[in-house]
Amino acid sequence: MTTGRVKRYSLMIICFALSLLSAIYGQTITGNVQKSKENIYLARIKQFNEFIDRFNYKTDFNGNPIDSAFSRKMTREKYINSLFDLKDNRIAAGGKDPQGSYADLKSRFVKQVISGDIKINKYAPGILAEAKSRVIFNGKPQTITIFLNQEVVGRGSVKWVITDVKGDILNFLKTDTTHIRFIPPGSNETDFINLKRALEDVDYLQYYASSDYKFDQLSIFLYLINSGLLKFEYVEEVRYHILDIPGWCIRVKDFNRDELNSGWLIYDLSLNNLSRKEYIQTLN
Amino acid sequence: MFKRILTSVFALTLTILVTAQTKTAVTTKEAKIVDEINLSAADIELFKEQTKQKVEEFQQYIITLANKDEPTEKRNMAEREALKLFYKGAQMEISTIMPDGTTQKVNRPMEKYLARLKSLPFTKVVIKFYDICYVKEFTKGPDGKYYSTATIIQEFTGFNDDNIVYKDVTKKEVEIIVDLVEDKFFNEKRWKLFLGDIKATETKTVTNP
Repeated sequence: MTTGRVKRYSLMIICFALSLLSAIYGQTITGNVQKSKENIYLARIKQFNEFIDRFNYKTDFNGNPIDSAFSRKMTREKYINSLFDLKDNRIAAGGKDPQGSYADLKSRFVKQVISGDIKINKYAPGILAEAKSRVIFNGKPQTITIFLNQEVVGRGSVKWVITDVKGDILNFLKTDTTHIRFIPPGSNETDFINLKRALEDVDYLQYYASSDYKFDQLSIFLYLINSGLLKFEYVEEVRYHILDIPGWCIRVKDFNRDELNSGWLIYDLSLNNLSRKEYIQTLN
Repeated sequence: MFKRILTSVFALTLTILVTAQTKTAVTTKEAKIVDEINLSAADIELFKEQTKQKVEEFQQYIITLANKDEPTEKRNMAEREALKLFYKGAQMEISTIMPDGTTQKVNRPMEKYLARLKSLPFTKVVIKFYDICYVKEFTKGPDGKYYSTATIIQEFTGFNDDNIVYKDVTKKEVEIIVDLVEDKFFNEKRWKLFLGDIKATETKTVTNP
């Protein structure tokens, strides 16, 4: 990198730090802050990986390791605050959260992260990617959600794996509490003639399965893809749920907007004590 | 010209350095590549630098092949050279924000994408890349290759005569793959960097045609 470039980047860092500071404190970034398009993209959290590096206070706006000059201007607390969607009504100045409960929660979270020097493990199984995807089922476009997480295999190799799938088209079984459905106890003596009747009860098949049977949408999904009944088109949107910090769940998505506070940002934060599997069950 | 010579010298130096630092890669001929052959931290740093160079090379080819003021032969050559940077089967996924706020995605093989870019219905096309290239750290995959992603920002302007009829800014996520390939000349395996799939997201449309 040339000396001129280094100087230019340093100048940009200062410029961004000042701009972000004003944003962090809920003030509107006004026109007197001259911001070029390039500055916006430099400040933008362009990749989820960059989000984690900034959260862990590992890299500056240019992706370079954080040095003392940067940390003097931008403390970790301010840096983490800048990772939130600052347009979120619950934390924005003049926002609609009169009780301030979300703002308090956020403040508690940031304090805990700073005091405990908490970092997110980039390859933690607690990082859950939610990929809203477009599929074609029976000739019609539908949306399903595919959940993925990372698995470390062999000596430090990493891959993403499908953890679960959810979607109305995969959830075809119905619930019925009015009738008792079962295969009668004497059915074995009639070579299970009743089995035909049971398997024609197509909407309630789960009631004929054993009590430890768990309906599994992922297996249904894999079968439908394999049989050609379901065609995968593309991923429409990706969101992340970070369950790696004990007691918390951080939700991150991409804010595609022409502002410094843009890119992969925290859109929600909540308390969480559920395991990854239990957590997925709570999602719609 | 000087820049090109410098790039070639750097690439050659990089190859020599990487080859020297990954002796295991050169000598291991069995299929246990995945677990046994690793890039050293120094190699990874070098490939991070090389990623920026390859991406810049790709950007230069894009600018040339889209520029209708350039001679056809030069544009064709830029198209061919750009393709050589990619891993076989690389695709371009273009994501467009529709007026109703929904996103529509189109997937094309890289060959088709470049061919289309060369023949866009504008009298003049100007493509500019911002001086930003964020490169994610390399992570080893279960197949023994190393993977990363580079983000670049492209500004596209389409003219009809002297009038701007279309302008947009897109963010491009470029997959980077470092693979151990057979160098037939030296009869040994060397790490080589390729560009992979690209996800292009429209961030801002300034003017619609």
